[in-house]
Amino acid sequence: MFDKILIANRGEIALRVERACKELGVATVAVHSTADADAMHVRLADESVCIGAPPAKDSYLNIPAIVAACEITGADAVHPGYGFLAENARFAEILEEHAITFIGPSAEHLRLMGNKIQAKETACSLGIPVVPGSGPVGDFEEAKTLANDIGYPVLVKAAAGGGGRGMKLALFENELEPALATARNEARAAFGDGTVYLEKYLAHPRHIEVQVLADGQGNAIHLGERDCSLQRRHQKLWEEAPSPALNASERVRIGETVAEAMRAISYRGVGTVEFLYEGGEFYFIEMNTRLQVEHTITEMITGLDLVIEQIRIAAGAPLSLRQEDVRFDGHAIECRINAENPHTFRPSPGTITHFHPPGGLGVRVDSGAYAGYTIPPYYDSLIGKLIVHARTRNECLMRLKRALGEFVVDGIETTIPLFNSLISEPDIVDGNYDIHWLENRLAKLGARG
Amino acid sequence: MTKKEGTFDKDLVRELAALLEETGLTEIEIELEGKRVRVARGVNLTTTLTTDGGHPETRDNTRAATNTRPAARPEEFIVHPGTVTSPMVGTAYRSPEPGSPPFVEIGARVTAGQTLVIIEAMKTMNQIPSPRAGTVIAILVEDGQPVEYGEPLAVIEQR
Repeated sequence: MFDKILIANRGEIALRVERACKELGVATVAVHSTADADAMHVRLADESVCIGAPPAKDSYLNIPAIVAACEITGADAVHPGYGFLAENARFAEILEEHAITFIGPSAEHLRLMGNKIQAKETACSLGIPVVPGSGPVGDFEEAKTLANDIGYPVLVKAAAGGGGRGMKLALFENELEPALATARNEARAAFGDGTVYLEKYLAHPRHIEVQVLADGQGNAIHLGERDCSLQRRHQKLWEEAPSPALNASERVRIGETVAEAMRAISYRGVGTVEFLYEGGEFYFIEMNTRLQVEHTITEMITGLDLVIEQIRIAAGAPLSLRQEDVRFDGHAIECRINAENPHTFRPSPGTITHFHPPGGLGVRVDSGAYAGYTIPPYYDSLIGKLIVHARTRNECLMRLKRALGEFVVDGIETTIPLFNSLISEPDIVDGNYDIHWLENRLAKLGARG
Repeated sequence: MTKKEGTFDKDLVRELAALLEETGLTEIEIELEGKRVRVARGVNLTTTLTTDGGHPETRDNTRAATNTRPAARPEEFIVHPGTVTSPMVGTAYRSPEPGSPPFVEIGARVTAGQTLVIIEAMKTMNQIPSPRAGTVIAILVEDGQPVEYGEPLAVIEQR
C-alpha cells in the first residue's frame, strides 16, 4: 500500500478521495491554487501545497508543479479525481518516469479511449454494441440496401462533417433519396467533400452507463448501470441506479458484455462505458477511463467504496470480489447541487452565508462547501452532491423530497429549486424520461415565463 | 507599491486591500505611470500563521508542512513591495552547490536579474532572479526548504 497519496484535484472529489485514503490509513497531500487556500479539501488534508495561480492551466493542470509537489512531500502515488488530468496519458507517463504511481488505467488505455474513433473501433472489436452505420455510400440503390439493413430512421452524415452540417434525417425510405442529395450538396459546399455515410438515428434514447472495476491482471467485474438521462447541454444533473428502464436480464447481458471486454484488454481501475439505450438495444457512446461524478449511487446500491477499490488496485492488489459477490441493494439517486441560477443556469459564484446539509438514514452529501466559504469563479459550479438511498425507487423519491426540503444553502443560487420541482413531475415519478426530456421541460417552463 | 524615495501611496494600498477583502481575491497588482503596486493576502502562509491574522478559517496548523517552515515570520513581508515570491513549487537552495557560499546574504546589494536562490523542480534547477536592484533585507527560506507557489523567498529593498 502507498504511504502518501497526493490528490491532484479540488472541491468535493478531492475531499471524497481524502476520505478513502484516511480509511486506508494513507497520508494525504492536497494541492491547491491560490484561490483555493481556504478550501475544505486543503483544510482536511494532512499536508497541502500551493501549486499555482487560480487559472487551472497554472495550477490543477500544471504537471511540473504537481510532480514537484510530489517530490517535496514524498508522495508515492497521485489520485487525479475526475476532470483536470484524470484522463491525460502524458501525465500518467510522466508520473511513471518519476516512479510515482498514477491511480488509474495505463497510459495506453487512456490514449485508446481518449480517441473517439479508436474507442468506437475498439468497442466494436470487443463485441460492445455500437450505433449501426455504413462506410461511404455510393448511389441511391446502394444507400437503400444499407438503410434497410440498419433500419429506419437513418441519418445521412457527411464523412468530413461536424456541427450538424451535411446531416439529414430520413424517417422512411421515401425520404432517403432527397436526404442523400441534400446531405451530399451540403457536405460538398461546407467541406469540399461530398462523401456521406449512413447511421442509425435514435429519436428518444436514454443515457445508460455501465460501471466496471478491473485489476489489470485480467479480472474485471461490472457494478451495474446508472441512468443519467436527465441532462442539460450534455451536463448530467440527476442520476439514478438502477435505471428505471432496465430489467435484471438486460443488466446481466450488457454488464457481462462490458466486463468481458475489459478482461480482454486487461483494463486496470474503474471505468465507465456509456451507452445510448433505445428499444431494448444499447449503442456505445464512449468510455470514461476514470472515476465519475456519479460513482456515488453505484456505491450506495453495492455497498462498495470505489475509491478504496481504485487505490488497492493501483497498489497492485487483485480484485477483492467476484461478479457473484456483487449485490444490488435498493435504489439510489444523485442530484448535482451547482452554484447556478435554477432557471437560467447562469453561474452564481459568491459567499455561502448559511449551509445546512440534510441528514438522516440513507442520505449522503458529498461537498466541500461550508458557511463562509467563497466559491471562486475559476472552476466548475458543482458545490456538492446530494445522494439518497432507499429500499425501493418510491421510497428513494420520498426520501429525496424530504432531503431537498432540509437542504439550506444561502448567499448564492443553487440548482436545489430545480430538483424540488422535478420531484413532483409525473414523468420523473414514473421514470419515464429520455435524454431530451429535461431540455424540453425547461423550454416549456421558459416559454411560460 | 514602489514609490519615489521611500514614500508610498498608503491610501492606494488601503483601497486595494479593501478591494481584496471585498472580491475575495488573493492578490492585486496594478501599474500606473510606471509605478507598480501589488497587494496580496497571506494565502500561502496559512501554515505559519499562529498570530492574530484576520482569517480565522486559514488558521490551520494541522498540516505537516508546518514543520518544514522556518522560524522567520514571513507574514510581515507579504505586502512589502520588495518581496520576491516563488514562481513554482520545489525545493529552494541558497547556494549553487552543496558547500559553496550562498548566492546572497542579508545586507548584500543585488542587481536586477541577479540570482537570489535556485528552486529545484522535476530535477531541473531554476534560478530565481532579483526583479530589481536593491539591498537584500530578508531571506525567508533555508537551504533545502520545500517551497510552495507564491511563498515569499526574500525581500529586496529598492533604493
